[in-house]
Formats: sequence, structure tokens, C-alpha cells
Amino acid sequence: MKNRLKVLRAERDWSQAELAERLEVSRQTVNAVETGKYEPSLSLAFRIARLFGQRIEEIFQLDSESSS
Amino acid sequence: MNASSQSTRRSWIVLGVVTLAWLAAYFAARWLLKHAEMETWLRVCVALFPLPFFGAFLWMFISGVRSMDELQRKIQLEALAIAFPLAVLLLMTLGLLQRAVDLPFEDWSYAHVWMYLPLFYFGGVAIASRRYQ
Repeated sequence: MKNRLKVLRAERDWSQAELAERLEVSRQTVNAVETGKYEPSLSLAFRIARLFGQRIEEIFQLDSESSS
Repeated sequence: MNASSQSTRRSWIVLGVVTLAWLAAYFAARWLLKHAEMETWLRVCVALFPLPFFGAFLWMFISGVRSMDELQRKIQLEALAIAFPLAVLLLMTLGLLQRAVDLPFEDWSYAHVWMYLPLFYFGGVAIASRRYQ
């Protein structure tokens, strides 16, 4: 799964630590989601989408969707 | 540092203190059982003395895990998935070896081999954490 978390974070000039604080998760979790090493739960994906004011599918995409 | 991470930090410090208290109680009981002359009922009491400390440790540890975020919990699960089979493997192998040969009690009794179990756990945490860095 790919995501635009790093881009969205950079647009707001937030550090990983700041984003982690806003999402109430660890910085390690933000880093792992950004690098695609960890796929967040639906609950966390909703929190991320709400924080950035976007829909989940605008932030997260399956690899097969992004390549087509 | 926000209030949540401060609270988490405080919880881990308390866990560290409780762990030290538990280990101190364990080694004190061990020392007393080895060096002090006591009646049997008192020896049993001394042997059970570390249990409340362990109970406090367990309570704090479970609370700590519950306060983790989803990735940290996953790391804990993977760490235990590594540590638990290793612990079973160690104990089963030692059991077989004890039947095969006379293992020196001072080195290989279950009274000593428990020290390997935290090593398996911390090794598991290190391996699991590495996957998500």
C-alpha cells in the first residue's frame, strides 16, 4: 500500500514528531506508515484522513490501484 | 513533550522501579534461603516473598502495553512470538539433556535458566522493532 502521508506532512511543515503528537501515536509509527513498513488500522487511517481533511482513499492507495 | 507522552514516560519509570524492587526481593529471598537457618514454614514464606512484587510488575507491564499505540503493540506481539517458542525450546532441550547427561545444577537448573527468558524477550523486541524502522 502506498500513501501520501509524507507529502501531506511536508505541505504543513510538520515534523514526524509533531504529526505523531497530533495523531497520539509514537514517532516510530508515523515513520513506519510513511515508509510503507506498517499499514495502519482503519481507525488510525480515519484519524489521519480527518487530520488532513481528506478521504482515506485520497491518502492511501493499494499498489495495484496506483499502477493502473 | 505532550501530556500523553509525559504520562507514558512516567509509567515506564514506575515500571522500572517496580522491576528493580521485584529483582531485589528475588535476590534477597535467594540469599536468605541459601545462607540463613530457618524453619520450613519460614523458608516457604521467604520463597513466596517476591510474588507480590512480581504481581505489581505484571500489572504495570500490562498497563504499559495497553497504553501503547497499535504499532508498538504489534512489536510486543512479535517479540513474544519470538521469545515464547525460544523459551519452550530451551526448557524442552534442557529437559532432554538432563535425561541424557548429568547437567551441573549450578548452571542449568530452572532456578538459573529463567535469566535467559528476558534475553529472549528483549532480543525479540529488538528484532521486531528493526522491521519497522
